Amino acid sequence: MKNINHLLAELEQQRLEKQTRRHFLMDCVSKVGGLALAPLLFSCGLGSSKEKVNGLSLSERDLNPLAPLPSPFLPKSKSIIYLHMAGAPSQLELFDYKPELVKYNNKPCPESLLEGRKFAFIRGVPNLMGPQANFSQHGESGAWVSDFLPHFSKVADEVAFLKAVHTDQFNHGPAQLFMQTGSPRLGRPSLGSWVTYGLGTENQNLPGFVVLTSGGKTPDAGKSVWGSGFLPSVYQGVQCRSKGDPVLYLEDPKGISRDLKKSIISSINQVNSEEFDHYGDPEILARINQYEMAYRMQIEVPEVMNINDEPDYIHSLYGTEPGKESFANNCLLARKLVEKGVRFVQLYDWGWDSHGTDKANAIDLGFRNKCKEIDRPMSALLLDLKQRGLLENTLVIWGGEFGRTPMQENREGKTMGFKGRDHHVDAFSMWMAGGGIKKGASHGLTDDFGFSGIEGRVSVHDIHATILHLMGFDHETFTHEFQGRPFRLTDVEGEIIKEILA
Amino acid sequence: MFMPKRKITGLLTAAMVLLVAGILIFRQSEQVDFSTEVKPILNKHCISCHGGVKKNGGFSVLFEEEALALTKSGVAAIIPGDPKNSELIKRLHEEDSEMRMPYHRASLTDEEIKTLHKWIKQGAKWGKHWAYNPVLKPTVNWVSQQAGFSDSKKKYQGIDFFIHEKQKENKLSFSEDEDSRKLLRRVSLDITGLPPTEALQNDWLTGKITYEQLVDRLLDSPSFGEKWASWWLDLARYADTKGYERDVSRTMWKYRDWVIKAFNDDKPFDEFTIEQLAGDLLPNPTQDQMIATAFHRNTMNNDEGGTEDEEFRVAAVLDRVNTTFEVWQSTTMACVQCHSHPYDPFRHEEYFQLSAFFNNTRDEDTHDEEPKLRFYEEEDREKIASVLSWANSNGSKKQAEALTDFFNFREPKYHAHLCEDFVNGELIDTKWLGLWHDGSCYLRNVDTQGADQLLMHYNSGLNGTKLTIRNGGPEGEILSQFIIDKTSNVTKSFPFKKIPIPVDLYIKVENPKASPQQSTSAITWFAFVNSLPGKEKEGYKEINDRFNSVLNSKVPTLPIMIENPSLMQRKTHVFERGNWLLHGEEVNPKTPEALNSWNPDWPNNRLGLAYWLTDRENPLTSRTFVNRIWDQLFGRGLISSIEDMGTQSEAPSHPELLDFLSYNFMNELDWSMKKLIKTIVLSKTYRQKSNLSPELYQQDPKNKWYARGPRIRLSSEQIRDQALYVSGLLSQEMYGAPVMPFQPEGIWETVYNGESWKLSEGEDKHRRAVYTFLKRTSPYPSFITFDAGSREVCVSKRIVTNTPLQALVTLNDPVFMEAAFHLGQKMKKHSNDDPLKAIAFGYELCMVSPISPSKIAIFHSLYDEALSEYQKKPELMAELIPDDANEKSAELAAFTIVANALLNLDEFLTKP
Repeated sequence: MKNINHLLAELEQQRLEKQTRRHFLMDCVSKVGGLALAPLLFSCGLGSSKEKVNGLSLSERDLNPLAPLPSPFLPKSKSIIYLHMAGAPSQLELFDYKPELVKYNNKPCPESLLEGRKFAFIRGVPNLMGPQANFSQHGESGAWVSDFLPHFSKVADEVAFLKAVHTDQFNHGPAQLFMQTGSPRLGRPSLGSWVTYGLGTENQNLPGFVVLTSGGKTPDAGKSVWGSGFLPSVYQGVQCRSKGDPVLYLEDPKGISRDLKKSIISSINQVNSEEFDHYGDPEILARINQYEMAYRMQIEVPEVMNINDEPDYIHSLYGTEPGKESFANNCLLARKLVEKGVRFVQLYDWGWDSHGTDKANAIDLGFRNKCKEIDRPMSALLLDLKQRGLLENTLVIWGGEFGRTPMQENREGKTMGFKGRDHHVDAFSMWMAGGGIKKGASHGLTDDFGFSGIEGRVSVHDIHATILHLMGFDHETFTHEFQGRPFRLTDVEGEIIKEILA
Repeated sequence: MFMPKRKITGLLTAAMVLLVAGILIFRQSEQVDFSTEVKPILNKHCISCHGGVKKNGGFSVLFEEEALALTKSGVAAIIPGDPKNSELIKRLHEEDSEMRMPYHRASLTDEEIKTLHKWIKQGAKWGKHWAYNPVLKPTVNWVSQQAGFSDSKKKYQGIDFFIHEKQKENKLSFSEDEDSRKLLRRVSLDITGLPPTEALQNDWLTGKITYEQLVDRLLDSPSFGEKWASWWLDLARYADTKGYERDVSRTMWKYRDWVIKAFNDDKPFDEFTIEQLAGDLLPNPTQDQMIATAFHRNTMNNDEGGTEDEEFRVAAVLDRVNTTFEVWQSTTMACVQCHSHPYDPFRHEEYFQLSAFFNNTRDEDTHDEEPKLRFYEEEDREKIASVLSWANSNGSKKQAEALTDFFNFREPKYHAHLCEDFVNGELIDTKWLGLWHDGSCYLRNVDTQGADQLLMHYNSGLNGTKLTIRNGGPEGEILSQFIIDKTSNVTKSFPFKKIPIPVDLYIKVENPKASPQQSTSAITWFAFVNSLPGKEKEGYKEINDRFNSVLNSKVPTLPIMIENPSLMQRKTHVFERGNWLLHGEEVNPKTPEALNSWNPDWPNNRLGLAYWLTDRENPLTSRTFVNRIWDQLFGRGLISSIEDMGTQSEAPSHPELLDFLSYNFMNELDWSMKKLIKTIVLSKTYRQKSNLSPELYQQDPKNKWYARGPRIRLSSEQIRDQALYVSGLLSQEMYGAPVMPFQPEGIWETVYNGESWKLSEGEDKHRRAVYTFLKRTSPYPSFITFDAGSREVCVSKRIVTNTPLQALVTLNDPVFMEAAFHLGQKMKKHSNDDPLKAIAFGYELCMVSPISPSKIAIFHSLYDEALSEYQKKPELMAELIPDDANEKSAELAAFTIVANALLNLDEFLTKP
């Protein structure tokens, strides 16, 4: 097996090398936007192996740290769309059907479940709370999906569920960091950074790692959830926004026309090229390259971020409304971005912290509305990727940073005005779909209350190991030297979840 | 005594493999060096399975006694003197792949096996990693680095001597000296972070001052402190917010100002260290020494609801251990938190012995970030003086001292989060004590020290709440009883029954007017402070009023380190597998065995730790500092892994030079940071041209051998400051609260946090970058793009990147456009009717050097193109030029365009 995989990986590498080389040449020759960069001819003709440029032996990564690299092993997916529901949605109202819990609704939680445990807000003995949604089985796989997600239930056969995910962080910030960087403390690179560091990106006119947020807030843990940690900052996520410049400082200043901007960049690069003749420092070549890319980005990013021109059927599929910041718009953008060759698209949707302290975060009210907001677009995303043939090499991941308790929250011992659930680390649900994922699979089982996993428990490190595997990495050998030791995303743990692989 | 000899030995060894037996016998007589020859082999091939984390087969090569101990199989893997019977050697030769080591990995080279064989034969003598040996007096004398070197016997002196020696080995040599203008710009950017002033340019270029005088003038400039503070603040993880989920503002800037002043005053690095780590423990500390301790209050503080303060207090303590060791010892301690260090000789329990130094400070991750130093205005200072003098004359000196501390930093006090066993009550948002009607809780093991007065900090939305404090429980003796009325945050005093021993306080409130589950008040803390003496005397009431008024005076504050009084001492335990809830054995403060010894005269606390770090026997402090300064100036350290000097670090490129500088930094320069920087920038090594030929690039792409000058992209701070400086916008104002220059809309979207970015007014928009407000979860965007960090954890080195997003910043960010407009204005003003002259002038302002004919041609054609565009389209011109500008013309617009291009040139963004 291994030998065949190696052969296939080599083939893929050759294909990639040819492709990047061709792209690079084409980009140079066609000079998108007609950028007249005569002195730049030397920057063409670089492959991923070292070649001589003006007497310097350089690799493409010397000039462009995001140049695509082949995966070390045969990848099942080329790009990732990660839908993170910040605040942690309740698995008990979505995918983890617990009929037994209905019977115990409003009854005190057995002491055995509470012994030696800490919760964020629950104090004393809370009551159990039955599912607040109705469940039924869907598709050929017979997946249990609640009536909070009517659209998604129709595409349930496309995904593999993980029903017994666990984490060890019960506060949002640390748990989001753990889910996105493999460590609850700051300073580690995010999943998207690791992947773009390892693979670069296919489209040099767009960022390789794009972050889109909705719900009006950035995630609790701040921008570090898409930070590059100890990796160079070029691998951090680039936040693309719905309001203002889609990428910060993308828009030309007022009073500068496109033609004039082209001349400005052309002048800068001509002078830089002269500077290179004087100093011979390859960093100058890299900078020339970055200015060309910046110019092309100014054209291509607004194009890809503009959903006005999408056909009506696409808008009705996703439920998108151009000009708004919404999860729906972000799902459509995610599809457009991976279609254009972006390596990693990370969505954060804020507003899932359903404690029941008010209407907006009540399980049966605000939470239900949040479900409505994501149901159609995330289902549309899977369908749209599929109809374009993109789903087979795009990995789609959905989940929060932890789950919710089977008990109703009694904040600091109080009775609450609304139905809510506290943070829960022992068991929660996630799903994955697309390249390399077994369709219609469901892995893991929780106890009758949905409190703990009793079968197929998987950790955050296991999920990371699986994602990296699908992207063609061995999570144990994909490392970066820092502080005198090799660091990896999965630290010293992580098992690939074979049960959900195709 | 260092590497070179070893290196030569290595070369000889390779050559001699083919040689005759006679020579082999000669080799046998040579001692194998553990640290440079054996340890690297063990680290490379063995230690990941047989080290600090895993000890497969019960065998570890981390510590001597572990390596020589019996393994699981019952025999020792290493038998000193007997390689043939040593399992370690046997396993290297095994044919069976299940038996051969390294397990399922490539086998060792013959040469490596021979080295191990020989080492065991010679007795398997353990040795220390070079960096853990003290810095010895170098054999090369410290030659004064004055310009016009005196000692003519050697071609090169000091730094240059060592650099030249390595160059010779690598068949390289120095480049010629950089031309005077480029050198001027380089050294000015390096020392002050700014281009040279006009006066300095004139003095230097006309030969009025020597290079050394130029360097002295730069070091004397107040800009020096502002430049180097940015670097230190990365290490200190300084920010203006607390971090974590809510990430609300904190007032830390007095610490930032302390750092700037310390650099400008050239505070010796040992004092600089001691004051930051333990200023509060110095005898009669000054206010500045107290401010310095905020270094370790830069740890994050978690306000997220539902988080336990103790967990994050512990996280802060561990961060202090990790940061102290990264900053002063280039040692990664974080891994020792969970297990013995995987490579370096630090044991699991040693980590917690170190944490014991930091585990007894008053801060407890509370929302208010106490303890905080208070900065009183004159009026309050007078009140305090009168209260203290009253206490002194009517009571005791001791009471006056306790009051002084309480005025200064409000300690000791008990925080609300210590309350437990709530009945009808809660810890509001896990922060404040909120008891409902008929509610109660306990505050246990409180040592009131027999005080007759309770001070309580609280707010309340209700009138008429009766609060009763009893001794021990609901039936206990009443210690204090009073009524709380509606109030915003207030510190109030109440009479309290004297109790000489620690007791459990039972706190009960009653207020039938409160709605069900409504908190009657929110209490932040309790303190026990004797009331003022002399109650019977005239004037008492006024003095007591002054006391209470000062307690409630709104003053600027700064979180600082304060050691726990004896009544609040915490015990420190090993955390099993690093889990703070799993307590192992108790430990006391102690420094690691592998490093310098402890002087019994030192106090066994943070102050002693600071003395230990700055002791001349400490092998790592001076080396670390020298290496970091070198890295700042050359873009690469003498040890390239800036954050790590341990056994896995890259070998130093110039070990003798590192020690030469480290020894003399302590002994000749008396820890003067300015003198060290001066020494380096006076060297020929620093002053070389930075031009690069393809051959040189091939030979030394990373400039490890310094056959050319340092050519590095400027930092985010320098890039901004320089653009503002050349356009004439940069404010000269120093110090003070952080500022908010222009930032695009919608950057701050932090959850549960109502704060917003409010554009600063006037010249505050154009202050130096070091004064820009730094929000950890959302730092100033253009700085992040140019590789600055979020300052959540200590960062030893920013990795320089080169990305299209950087181009977008300097091309389009309104900050840079504003600078371009003002630069364009200056150019036009200089030569209104001669664009060529104006362009040349603008270029020289930016680059300090004159423009070349070919470059001026490029810009001239850009100018012409822009001019004709703006002449044709006056509406575009009107958009480009700010509304409030005095003049609007196509010429001015065209100069703005040229200026925009100038501010984007690689040479502008790069130190020449």
